Amino acid sequence: MAYSEKVVDHFNNPRNMGSFKKDEDGVGTGIVGAPECGDVMKLQIKVQNDTIVDAKFKTFGCGSAIASSSLATEWLKGKTVEEAQQIKNTDIVQELNLPPVKIHCSVLAEDAIKAALNDYKKKAEETK
Amino acid sequence: MEQKPQAPPKRTELHMARSMCWHCQSEITGEYFCEQCVKVQPLSKELDYFTCLGLPRLLNIDLEALESKFYALSRSFHPDFYHNKTESEQAISLGNSALLNIAYRTLKDPVQRAEYLLKLEAGSAKDIRSSPPADLFEEILALQEDLEEYRQAAPERDPAVLEPLKAKLSSDRDRLEQRQREMDTRLPELFNAWDHLQTRAGAAPVDDRLRKERETILKDLRELLSNRTYLRNIITDLVAAMA
Repeated sequence: MAYSEKVVDHFNNPRNMGSFKKDEDGVGTGIVGAPECGDVMKLQIKVQNDTIVDAKFKTFGCGSAIASSSLATEWLKGKTVEEAQQIKNTDIVQELNLPPVKIHCSVLAEDAIKAALNDYKKKAEETK
Repeated sequence: MEQKPQAPPKRTELHMARSMCWHCQSEITGEYFCEQCVKVQPLSKELDYFTCLGLPRLLNIDLEALESKFYALSRSFHPDFYHNKTESEQAISLGNSALLNIAYRTLKDPVQRAEYLLKLEAGSAKDIRSSPPADLFEEILALQEDLEEYRQAAPERDPAVLEPLKAKLSSDRDRLEQRQREMDTRLPELFNAWDHLQTRAGAAPVDDRLRKERETILKDLRELLSNRTYLRNIITDLVAAMA
């Protein structure tokens, strides 16, 4: 099955690839994996005044998983923590035109967003 | 085998209730063939692979029994024996053969068998998704980064840079392979635990304790198989990069 143009674009020109220091102020880290395929995804957000000012990812997996996380970091930037919570895997499926066998990649990206947000909140709670 | 262009199977005929012969409408008592008109019956989509191949839902299976049942059914469904039958029968023969092949392949391999069992049992053991092994992920990410460094350094062919990286990666690989071997010895233990429980549960009424035990085994199995997949992926990457 061929990848959609958007997937290929994100795969060839991944946005926001890289990482922040985990213990840096305002950084939330989410690391998740898909047992179906063994893909591992790390997604990080940097929050200032409740707004996500930057996001980065590192994904070791198939093209769809890379594209899903790349797209997720693009969407996250500029959103408030509350707004980021609303990102659904179905939005990613729609945007990237993912076929049914690749839907779990978008689920992985949503899980990673949630995990990063939770990590950020937990850290914020602790430093209060 | 030559493929003749075929008219698409008539859907309505294939979706007939399993308890009734699609051809003569008499009640089906035989396993896969109508006893009245001797027509082949479509395997139901809901039929699980264990039932299809006449096996109990256990993880240690009799491979010889699996094989002989597979061969027997293959013979009775094989499209070659249906080329002068009706279109509907040809479609059923093709569909059944395809399903049978997948069922056999799945059950033959212990890991695929266990994955399949988990899929079947997921409904009865809720929340079977195991908690992500965070430390394993961290380890894999760190390894992938080392691997990336190695891949980038490789074209330079500078032994002063490459050799230490290579040494580290190969010791990582040995360590992971050792861990995979440990996992592979744990697998039969879980297989036995599941089979033992199933056999015991067969006679006893299902109570909370039994249900809990069952969920624990399934959860352990899920976790083991998932971790094994992650591990296998990184090992494959390591081996490929260093080849």
